[in-house]
Amino acid sequence: MSSLRGWRLWTLLGFLAASTGLPAVVPNDYLLQVLFRIALFAALGLAWNLVGGYAGQLSLGHVAYFGVGAYGLALFTEHSVPKWISVFLAASVAALFAAVIGRIVFRLRGPYFTLSTIAFAEVLRLTATNLNMTGGAIGLTTPALFTGNSFWTLFYLAAVFLAFITFLVNYWVSRSRFGYYLLAIREDEDTASAVGIDTAGYKLRALLISAFITALGGALYASAFQFIVPDSVLTIDISVQIAIITMLGGAGTLPGPVVGAVLLLGASEMFKEQFKESHLLIYGLLIVVVVLFLPEGIVGGFEQRLRRRKKPPADATALAPGGN
Amino acid sequence: MPILELDNVTKRFGGLTAVKNVTFTLQEGEIVFIIGPNGAGKTSVFNLISGFLHPDEGSIRFQGKNLSKLPPYQAARLGIGRTFQIVKPLASLSVLENVMLGAFMHTGNTRKAEQEAKKILEFLQMAHLENFPARGLPLAALKRLEIARALATMPKMVLLDEVVSGLTTSEALALAGVVKRLPEWGVSVVGGVEHVMQVVMKIAHRIVVLDHGAKIAEGQPEDVVKQPAVIEAYLGAKYKELTQ
Repeated sequence: MSSLRGWRLWTLLGFLAASTGLPAVVPNDYLLQVLFRIALFAALGLAWNLVGGYAGQLSLGHVAYFGVGAYGLALFTEHSVPKWISVFLAASVAALFAAVIGRIVFRLRGPYFTLSTIAFAEVLRLTATNLNMTGGAIGLTTPALFTGNSFWTLFYLAAVFLAFITFLVNYWVSRSRFGYYLLAIREDEDTASAVGIDTAGYKLRALLISAFITALGGALYASAFQFIVPDSVLTIDISVQIAIITMLGGAGTLPGPVVGAVLLLGASEMFKEQFKESHLLIYGLLIVVVVLFLPEGIVGGFEQRLRRRKKPPADATALAPGGN
Repeated sequence: MPILELDNVTKRFGGLTAVKNVTFTLQEGEIVFIIGPNGAGKTSVFNLISGFLHPDEGSIRFQGKNLSKLPPYQAARLGIGRTFQIVKPLASLSVLENVMLGAFMHTGNTRKAEQEAKKILEFLQMAHLENFPARGLPLAALKRLEIARALATMPKMVLLDEVVSGLTTSEALALAGVVKRLPEWGVSVVGGVEHVMQVVMKIAHRIVVLDHGAKIAEGQPEDVVKQPAVIEAYLGAKYKELTQ
């Protein structure tokens, strides 16, 4: 695990400065909105990275926490809770919800785990569609956390801030015992438990943090568009997009989700203008190319290539005879 | 007081009784090897002791504490280290990180875990491999890595399942030299070996022989290999000729 010093620290600070300065040179609200989505999905990807990257649990149900964040903000403010408190209350509810879901889905491994996460998210979508409290298919209005002329600038900066905090959480995880334990769980659960790791407990802890941040993202998203329906904040598309962004950039790496969000959302936006409807084709091709040639993601593949070059000569693996 | 006591332990998988009324003990500082042909129940016994399986009948006590229903990670925390017959390295992590994971059981400090891991790699003469990814190491190194990771948890006892299988004779003997020294570290050893009797004879204080899940003999290595039941079930007629 590389430490955050020297050029790495400067790259991070430079990137952060550039990101926060960007609104000053961006001419219109439309582009700011695109940037907001990129920053938001970078944050969501980083949050997903804890569970899907480090712990290697391929969740395709993260929209559940996103949706709880969005609906939580709407419902709490409806009951006259101050809006910023509502945001964090909603995120806490999502974490609580994750504690319940996690206890069930983490009993399953591999594709069964993934399917069960989808199932829970779908149950939530159908519930929101059919309950009066959530406005059914008509949805709910959500309060704007920021108002005024610099509306999109402020939302964009809030998303950048969320992404930055989540990056720091990822950084801490990648350097701590907690992170090593998640990696061990990803690599081999039997080995992990043989060195005393409570695999179920650690997976759950990762999910709680991830769900809390994902819900913050959901609330921010709902607040920016001021209106939510089940098909906008509880659709499986969002789960898939979060996962693809992270895997494309490099699951289990620090910069991966950010790279993925910038490339995938940026590219899709660019192609949308140039190729109209056929931009989805290019989006799809991009994913196929990365999966075929960089299965570890862009950052992951790059790191692996660096590591391969460092490999010592073959005879270095020879072992000296053991002590007697 | 023995560190490990198995008392009439039985484990069934459906209609198959993998372990049948097995009783044996391990004293502190002792090296006991379980030998037996393929399918004799050795791996099941290791899984039972380390909490990956739970006995249907009988009890397993470690330092006087009943293990019968404990999950693997808690067995590990009590001081039971283990290696796997089919090596299970954390493939994308480096050798050093693999061993650090063991050390993390008793320290949350990354740097301290690193120092301890280095010490253990030194003991296993693997220090020069520390930055390699575990993936792609030769089998002899992976077997050592399994032991290193287990030792890093500072266990009171390690279970070494087929620790020398698949190794050349010289690699096996080198590794046997390492295992022999474990009691110096305060680690008692239960090993399991299918063949490679050379290794067992050299380092085991005592041998337990399993056949079809049941214990058929126990004792000093030199005595056990002379017993007719053992020769019949395990060593084969050819060995009998050799010993005479």
